[in-house]
Amino acid sequence: MLRAAGLILVKDTRLRVRDRSVWLFAFVVPIGMTFLFSSIFPDTGAIELRAGVVDLDGGEVAAGFVEGVVPALADADVLTEVGFDSEEDARARVTEGEVDAAWVLPAGFSEDVLAGGDARIEVLVAAGRTLPGELARGVADAYARRIEQAGLAVTVQGVLTGGPPDPQLIGAIAAAAADTEELVRVTTDLADRGQPLDAVSYLAAGMAAFFVFFAVQFGVTGLLEERQFGTMSRLLAAPIAPGAIHLGKLLGAFLLGVTSMAVLAVASQQLLGADWGPAPGVAILIVAIVLAAIGVMSLVALFAHTAEQASNFQAVVAVVLGLTGGVFVPVPGDIAALRIITAVSPHGWFLRGLNELSASGQWTTVLPAAGAILLFGAVTAVPAVVVQRRRSSW
Amino acid sequence: MGAVLRCSGLRKAFGDIQAVDDVGFEIAPGETYGLLGPNGAGKTTSISMIAGLLHPDAGEIEVLGTRMTPRALDAKAAVGLVPQDLAIYPDLTARENLHFFGRLQHMSRHDVRARSDEILEVIGLRERSDDRAGEFSGGMKRRLNIGIGLLHQPRLLILDEPTVGVDPQSRNAILESVEALAVEGLAVLYTTHYMEEAERLCRRIAIVDQGRIVAEGTRRELIDTISEQDIVRLKVAGDVHAAAVACDALPSVSSADAEDDEVVCLLDQAASSLPALLAAVSSVDASVVGVEVREPDLEDVFLYLTGRALRD
Repeated sequence: MLRAAGLILVKDTRLRVRDRSVWLFAFVVPIGMTFLFSSIFPDTGAIELRAGVVDLDGGEVAAGFVEGVVPALADADVLTEVGFDSEEDARARVTEGEVDAAWVLPAGFSEDVLAGGDARIEVLVAAGRTLPGELARGVADAYARRIEQAGLAVTVQGVLTGGPPDPQLIGAIAAAAADTEELVRVTTDLADRGQPLDAVSYLAAGMAAFFVFFAVQFGVTGLLEERQFGTMSRLLAAPIAPGAIHLGKLLGAFLLGVTSMAVLAVASQQLLGADWGPAPGVAILIVAIVLAAIGVMSLVALFAHTAEQASNFQAVVAVVLGLTGGVFVPVPGDIAALRIITAVSPHGWFLRGLNELSASGQWTTVLPAAGAILLFGAVTAVPAVVVQRRRSSW
Repeated sequence: MGAVLRCSGLRKAFGDIQAVDDVGFEIAPGETYGLLGPNGAGKTTSISMIAGLLHPDAGEIEVLGTRMTPRALDAKAAVGLVPQDLAIYPDLTARENLHFFGRLQHMSRHDVRARSDEILEVIGLRERSDDRAGEFSGGMKRRLNIGIGLLHQPRLLILDEPTVGVDPQSRNAILESVEALAVEGLAVLYTTHYMEEAERLCRRIAIVDQGRIVAEGTRRELIDTISEQDIVRLKVAGDVHAAAVACDALPSVSSADAEDDEVVCLLDQAASSLPALLAAVSSVDASVVGVEVREPDLEDVFLYLTGRALRD
């Protein structure tokens, strides 16, 4: 069986070498896209925020934000703090795009919190500054949540006792407002999107993972192509095990996928200074994502009648999985819904695995992500194989 | 010598359509056996089962005494298949196509190389051997298609409508090649809907219609099934169908069918029946503008047996 599969693999390789579209999808376009994106978004790995505070409250709780949180963020190199003369000044400068964002602490903010009301911080965001704006909102939300939790205790105490707020609880609110360490940690995570990978490495790996789903198409749709050429009948009539045909095709897809990703990893390292992390871990993730791509694309191909139709279906699936996996724009890790969406994309797990690999430097840290990616491959490949065997069996 | 191919009771249905119904025959070494029938008669389905591509619902297939299954590699190795549709890689050269399929047949590199040269000579593509098949004319592609089937020197060659869409010159070259192969002792299973090809090549012919073999034998035997009758073709001006009905009603006429602007009659004693035929046509407001009387051929046999023309 292996000999026949090898012959089919060699024949397919010869055909692919003569087919320029393979070179485009497997090598040229992903490298080109990485170049393009890295020049457009040179700092997507770490977001810089130019912002300041307008304190219309002047109370104890507001002071926690103005004197505690904001300087701490500046010290952590997340924030370049700017001063505003007034709320109007802040609005004008944000509108003009001179600064990314402004936090407005409304009058009565501290009193509202102590009375158990909503702790609302208004966030002004400059147009087109989506990611810094998101970061500014994240800071405000995190601070407000922290303060509200403490304020809730004051409210409960007031309802139960009917008396004035317990000075101890008010002290707790002040302590929470002043405790910037945890908030700064969350914020810096937000700022670097939780990506230990630098921007270029992230882009290169994302593009490689995205386009490998296109590259493996050429092997996966091979059976449909054989039918289109009319050669399937000759292959089935040849004195070879029927499984050899499938094996040859899948081997071709696997080798093309792995080669494509390996070339991209090396090329992005040599040409763009990217670093995907220690080689053993990268290799494990590459093998896993290529197998998952073969599984997913094999399943999608079942719904097509021609190679062209299969390519169209597969392109749609590849784009959706790529987008949800965050190959173009990193998916914020602090939003639960987005985290769940990312988790149903092998691309998301691939990038997560590389992040963990990059952060730890230990190849074993990729194993959970690799396992999740392989699970995608298995879940999609099993029905594909079963149906394909049924279709081509006697 | 034993039969190269023996099949019996073959049946295959696709949903409600019975594509092949109780088909069986044998082919001896050096014999060319024809399956003659219109498109959709079940010829390709039959050979797909014989070549091991399709699982029969019922029936037995033996090639050189070995039962044909997907894993009967010896049986498969004895068969050379030339599918009706072109089965070549357009982006490979003629030689590369031959080399790939030869290696799949477990031929050594040396044997494939030597045999490819022979085949390229036989199919007249020696000079174009390093050109991509996609650049070939339709006839050249057909010849390469056949060459691949011959490459591994099979004992049984299955040719499924090999001349469809081929120019007359290439068609003649293909028919000459098949005749030469039979002389060399190759058993050939040849499907066609061209009566002339079946008459020229095949020692025995099975007439296939709607999945069944409706008659089988040599050309002479098949023609004799419509006894000593003659064929009279009347070229008619006017209502051809009404004329056919009027002719069919005559006692001396076995069958009469309208075909384009002609009425084709099968009848005894054409000479004495001709006046009655002319009168019958005139009686339905039509007139005879031409008459041809001739001996029946396989087309007429098919028409007689099925009530339809081969080209229908």
